[in-house]
This record gives sequence, C-alpha cells and structure tokens, in this order.
Amino acid sequence: SGELYCSLPNPRNVHFESINMKNVLHWSAPEGTGDGVFYKVKYAVYGVGKWIRKPECRNINRTWCDLSSETSDYEEQYYASVKAFLNGTCSDWMETTRFNPLTDTKIDPPMVSVSSTDRSISIILTAPEKWKSSPEEESISLLQVYPGLQYNVSVLNKKTKKRWFFSISNNTLIVPWLEPGTAYCVSAQIHVTTPILDSGFSKEHCITTLKDK
Amino acid sequence: LGGDVLLPAPQSISILSTNMKHFLTWSPVIIQGATVRYSVEFQGEYEREYAGGSWIPTSECSRTTATLCNVTQDISASVAYRLRVRAELGASRSPWATTEGLFTRAMTSLTPPLLRVLADGHHLLVELADMGPSFQFRVLYWRKGQESRVQQKVLREVSSVVHLDTMEAGAEYCVKAQTHVQAINRSSSFSPTQCVRARGDASL
Amino acid sequence: LSMTEIRAGFTAIKANIQSRDPIRTLSILSHPHSLHKVKSADRCCITHQLFTFYVDKVFKHCRTEDSFVNRKISSIANSFLSARRKLGQCREQNNCMCGEESTEKFKQILANYEGLNVTSAAMKSLGELDILLDWMEKAR
Repeated sequence: SGELYCSLPNPRNVHFESINMKNVLHWSAPEGTGDGVFYKVKYAVYGVGKWIRKPECRNINRTWCDLSSETSDYEEQYYASVKAFLNGTCSDWMETTRFNPLTDTKIDPPMVSVSSTDRSISIILTAPEKWKSSPEEESISLLQVYPGLQYNVSVLNKKTKKRWFFSISNNTLIVPWLEPGTAYCVSAQIHVTTPILDSGFSKEHCITTLKDK
Repeated sequence: LGGDVLLPAPQSISILSTNMKHFLTWSPVIIQGATVRYSVEFQGEYEREYAGGSWIPTSECSRTTATLCNVTQDISASVAYRLRVRAELGASRSPWATTEGLFTRAMTSLTPPLLRVLADGHHLLVELADMGPSFQFRVLYWRKGQESRVQQKVLREVSSVVHLDTMEAGAEYCVKAQTHVQAINRSSSFSPTQCVRARGDASL
Repeated sequence: LSMTEIRAGFTAIKANIQSRDPIRTLSILSHPHSLHKVKSADRCCITHQLFTFYVDKVFKHCRTEDSFVNRKISSIANSFLSARRKLGQCREQNNCMCGEESTEKFKQILANYEGLNVTSAAMKSLGELDILLDWMEKAR
C-alpha cells in the first residue's frame, strides 16, 4: 500500500473497552512521542479474509475509536488494529486480542425504581439496553442477549442496619410487612450465570415507608 | 546423600474427599537424616483413552515434603481419575505408587450445610456458610403445624443474610437445608431443623 | 448439561491459546457457515458430532509447554468426555438425526480443520471453544 518505512515505536496496549456492548477501541501513544502523532484504524471479523478500514478514524490524533457499529453482531468475534504516523514515518500495525462482544463486555447495574406504602416497598428493576447506533433503532434489552440473567437485590434497614439479600429472576420485588416510618435503601446487581458476567451493584435508592395511619 | 539411595514407593495411598474437596494421602518414606519429597500426578479418562495413558503433574504437589496433596483443582470433571505419587531424594526417584481403583468426584461425601435461621419482625431469613462454586442450597421452610405445605428456595451464591419469605404475625416457622452439587447431581442430607417465631400476636 | 465448568476452564486459558493462533482470516467453526444458522432440530446431533470432533481430533494436539494450560486442557477434555456421554444418551433417547444441511455444515468444519496443519488446526479449534459454548448456551 505504498507505506513509508516504519521505524516509529508502536502504539501500546491496543484493546477494546466494552460496556453494554458499546465497543470502543483504545490505545496508548507510542513510547516517547508527544503531540503530532496521527493514527489509522482497521478491523476484521474473525474468520473472514479481509481487514476493513474505519474512515472516521483515519488520521486522527485521539487514542480511541468507537467501533460499536462495526462489532454489533455479537455472534461474531473481531480483531482491531492501529498504526501510528509522525513526521513522515510510521509504526507497525498493532492488534487487539480476539474480541468476543458477548463475553468481553461489561454490564451496567440495573436501573432501580422504588415506591413504598406504609408497610411495604416495591422494587422495579430494568436491565440496561444493548448499545444501539441511533435512538430510532429498536432497543434490545440485555435480558434478551443473556437469557440466564438474574438480579441480586440488597435491602438495608437504615434503622437496624440489617441488610437482606434477594435473588430474583423476574424484575419486580415487593417486600411487605416492613416497619412504618422507616428508611430502607435498595441496590441491585445483575448476575449472568453463563457466560459468567456480573454487573456492579447500583447506587442505593433510599425510601421511607409511610407513617402508620 | 540421595544420588544412589534406593527409594521405596510410598505406601498406604488413599483419597479423602468431602464436599468436593479431594485429597490424596500416603505414608511417609523414612530415610534417616534426609528430607524426602514427593510428586503427585493425575490421569483422567481422556488421558487413559485418548492420550496414550499419559499422566499430568498436579497443580499443587511437585516435590512437596507433605504427605497430603490437595487435588481438587485437578479432579475437575465428572470422569474416572487415577492418581499416583512417588518419593524423591536428590536425583533418586522411587517407583510410582498408584491408587488402587478409579476415583470419580461423585464419590465425594456431602455434609449438610451450616445454617442459621433468623426472624426479623415478620421476615424469615437464613444465613448459609459458603461452600464454594460447585454448591447450591435447597432450603425448605414451612409454618409449624402445616408440614404438608412445605415451600422451597434454591440459593446459589450465599454470601450473606438471604430473605426467604414473610411470616404471619406470631406464627412459628421451621427451616432445614441440604446442599446440591449440579456437577455430580447429588445432594447432602438435610441440616437439623431450626424454628423461629414471627413478631406479633398470633391471635390477630 | 452444565457448561459452566468448561466455560471457566476455557476462560482461564483463552488469551494464551488464542495468542498461539496467528491466522485471523480463517475460522474452523464460524465461517463460511455459522453455527447460529443450524436448525434447532439438528442441534442435538451436530453438538454430539462437534464434541466427538474435539475429543477425537483436537485436544490431543494441544499440548503446550505451560503446565497450567495443560491441566486446564485436560480438565476441558475430560469434561467433554462426560458431556458427550450425556449427549449420547440424549441422542439415543430422542433419536436425533442430522439433517442434510447440518451434515454439510459439519463437513465444512472438518474441511476447515483439514485445511491447516494439525497443530495449527487443533490450537485454532481450541481457541474457538467460546464460539461453540456461546452457541450452545444461546440455543438452550
């Protein structure tokens, strides 16, 4: 491809960072290079015989490139590669390891909404959606991607400081027979049994049960 | 010492296995004034049938001075395994001593789980000691006097107080649990039953 | 048929095994035919064939210089044996037959395999275990 003699040090730590299958390629600048370095990016579907350039990431000086669109089929696996240019010279192409969107993504905690009566709280959990390229595109819940998805829910009684755990498969939980006029804090985590994937726990949502009538 | 010593093979080798933790033990080989070491290898059905009867060094016991080896990481499939151990002193190696029969992890003995039952107001809660990733817990609970209406929950990872159900005011509820290991499709016997009472007046 | 242990064993050595496969442009399992296109009626049969393929052809050519990796491969291979035994029972009870299309797919997989030298083909197949596991778990 008529490229120059490549004596520039290589980009480092080329890897995918993926959250809810928003798959962004990241790398570090070549050792010892300051400003003025530009990059090109290409990617390949594993098992298919060609590398494909990413036009939006051609001659860029940032060190990331969003390849979510190109890697959205999670039944495929991918490689991506980066090449650096500076003052007329260039580096080698530096590749990621094989990227499997299904197992190599991280999952956000579920959205938690809590309401209460005087003696109960009801919790509704919503799994995050798979990344999509535009708001108009049809939403796919990660529940559809990972059928074995479950929720671990923690309920903390702020007065007694006692914490209970629930493990549920559906997305609603009602905890009756609580203390009136008491603050309860709820947080939840997604647990996928296979492949093994756990989200962190969501931030706590606190609510106080109504005072006794 | 060791270069020309004729080392006898270790004797009395046997496998101890409880709750999916598997250990090989043997009697020490005594050589006065010397520290004898041991190496352990394992062979699964695959190695016997498809890999020419090859043996694989265990993950934890190469040149160990102990006479006990944790082979849990190595016995990691539901097939029949064989284990062997030999003594080593300097360059000397004893013959291998191989376990008599074949060992499958389904032969492990399963003990009931350690269970603590709590009542917190109207809520029935349990705490179970973690036994590792292979274990699930089948928890049965019922209202005392209504033994025919037993309810069940299967719990996987148990790292804290788990909510079972809500209880009717003043009523007494009983709980027992057993472990279940999906990989070998076996369960332990049940833990002793524990009963707790919900707060409140039962007559209401 | 719990794949959890196989999945855990593979995850532990995935990076190591896949780094030994420099060929990006060829796949044993996923191209030109994707497992995800296998008809559900054929799944039982092609799964049994794939497990036999791994037991008979793949694992024995995957020995490495790394004892940790070798132990994990042994664990996976022995797990495949016990899983294949269960699959065999399922195949007999349900009289699973491979349709023409799936037979063709499996032939293509063997052709992909034969197209490489045996060590490269075995290491590539082992590195593609997550393709098989993803398909099995999704199909479940």
